[in-house]
Amino acid sequence: MQFSMLVDLPKSTSAISWRSIRHHAYIAWYIAWSDTRARYKRSVIGPFWLVLSTLIGVGGLAVVWGALMNADMAEFVPSLAIGLILWQAISGSVTESVRAFTDDAAIIKNIKTPPLRISLQLLFRQIINLLHNMVLVVLMLAIFPRLLSPTAFFAIPGLILVLINLLWVIHVLGFLGARFRDLEPLVSAIMPMLFFMSPVLYRSHELGAHAFIMRFNPLSYFVEIVRDPLLGHGPDALTYGAVVVMAVVGWSLTLWMTHAKKHRLAYWV
Amino acid sequence: MARVILDDVSVEYPIYSAGAFSLRSRLIAIGTGGRISNVSRHVKTVAALDGLNLEFKDGDRVGLVGHNGSGKSTLLRTIAGIFTPTRGKISAEGRISTVFELGAGLQRELSGYDNIIRMSMMLGTSRAEAEANISDIEAFTELGDFLAMPVHTYSSGMSTRLIFAVATSTNPEILLVDEVFATGDADFQERAQRRMTAFVEKANILVLATHSDTVVESLCNRQIRLEHGLLCSDEAMLGPENSEPPSNAEC
Repeated sequence: MQFSMLVDLPKSTSAISWRSIRHHAYIAWYIAWSDTRARYKRSVIGPFWLVLSTLIGVGGLAVVWGALMNADMAEFVPSLAIGLILWQAISGSVTESVRAFTDDAAIIKNIKTPPLRISLQLLFRQIINLLHNMVLVVLMLAIFPRLLSPTAFFAIPGLILVLINLLWVIHVLGFLGARFRDLEPLVSAIMPMLFFMSPVLYRSHELGAHAFIMRFNPLSYFVEIVRDPLLGHGPDALTYGAVVVMAVVGWSLTLWMTHAKKHRLAYWV
Repeated sequence: MARVILDDVSVEYPIYSAGAFSLRSRLIAIGTGGRISNVSRHVKTVAALDGLNLEFKDGDRVGLVGHNGSGKSTLLRTIAGIFTPTRGKISAEGRISTVFELGAGLQRELSGYDNIIRMSMMLGTSRAEAEANISDIEAFTELGDFLAMPVHTYSSGMSTRLIFAVATSTNPEILLVDEVFATGDADFQERAQRRMTAFVEKANILVLATHSDTVVESLCNRQIRLEHGLLCSDEAMLGPENSEPPSNAEC
């Protein structure tokens, strides 16, 4: 079984050149952007609904949870807001990933499309949402300026590591979700539990002896690696180690799996 | 130069029953060594193409005919690289553009102009190229001010015009078309045929699946008949002026 094809990129049978990556990444970005525009076309405040809903969520939780836990608001509110924003991007990527390919079945079956471009489209949509939500992060740092320190810059490499991880998660779950249709309800059932196991509503040291529960949730590390520096806490070696290991192991798994199965995708969706 | 060679190409669709699609049966199969549930090991397949040997070269204007389910669409999608043959080898050289299921990749909330860029980019052109093609598409579609309106306001004939114009504007060397002449008014059908004739004169490859003998007669110089995924006949046609009616031999 062999297949060679020269579509739009001259003389690149394996199609893994820097030029083709840039070309496809730009296409994915454009499509993600136009999808977002289409989604909010007839809405007045558009994607800022997302910001507003995060804000409402933060407000409600801050009142209830703050009273319940007797938390220091100046500490708790920014931690909660930034945590929720990150969680939305993470959980949005994971829950939508399982149907990323089946939702785009019409495109996969009618236009020759590299599967990774579709995964990248989903990640870019999440990044666009995240960028809108950045308004809230700025707002938090403006209200609680004492949090701001040079450590905050560590959030940037942290975020890049998280996005690298999310891309393989989307890609693997996309393939598995196209083949096994039970994965979508399964993932939707697990995500709320992972939310309560993540350090969004509290910080890991507040769990005391039970902090190990959170350590079993891989998504916890994604939240902490970005949020901790923003809140003025130095980077934690364990968190960095976990995220880097996940990226390496995850991408190896992904490349191995998609290499074996990429030709089957059009038959699955 | 464009060329497509199919060497003993077979395509088999796996038919996953609900059982084979589910994770549970796969887990049970693993957990029990596959003795209780072996659905996943014996996925039924349907042969859509069966050992096809074909070669298309510059200047070929191929009309693909055959009953529903004879494998026309599968053959087009295999040439386009969407389906990888389960057996055999295919090689295609040249820029490929496809006009398949109408509406794939169309974002109905966005305007015609936005969709021109979007669809062109999905077909693999750069944004600059796509923007350069806009005036050509404006001229062909004659949609006028409608191009600035959301596509959901279009009639099906108007969307057909837009999609067809975009697919042919990407300046492909190989154009694959799956029965699009069913929609669109007589005027559009005539102009679409003219555009394809002009396209074909640039000595490239056209493969067109259709049920209409008149379309085959007016556009094609070669007719391939498929039946149950098998090649039934492959004959040269003399052209529109002195063509004989294509034989309808049963296979």
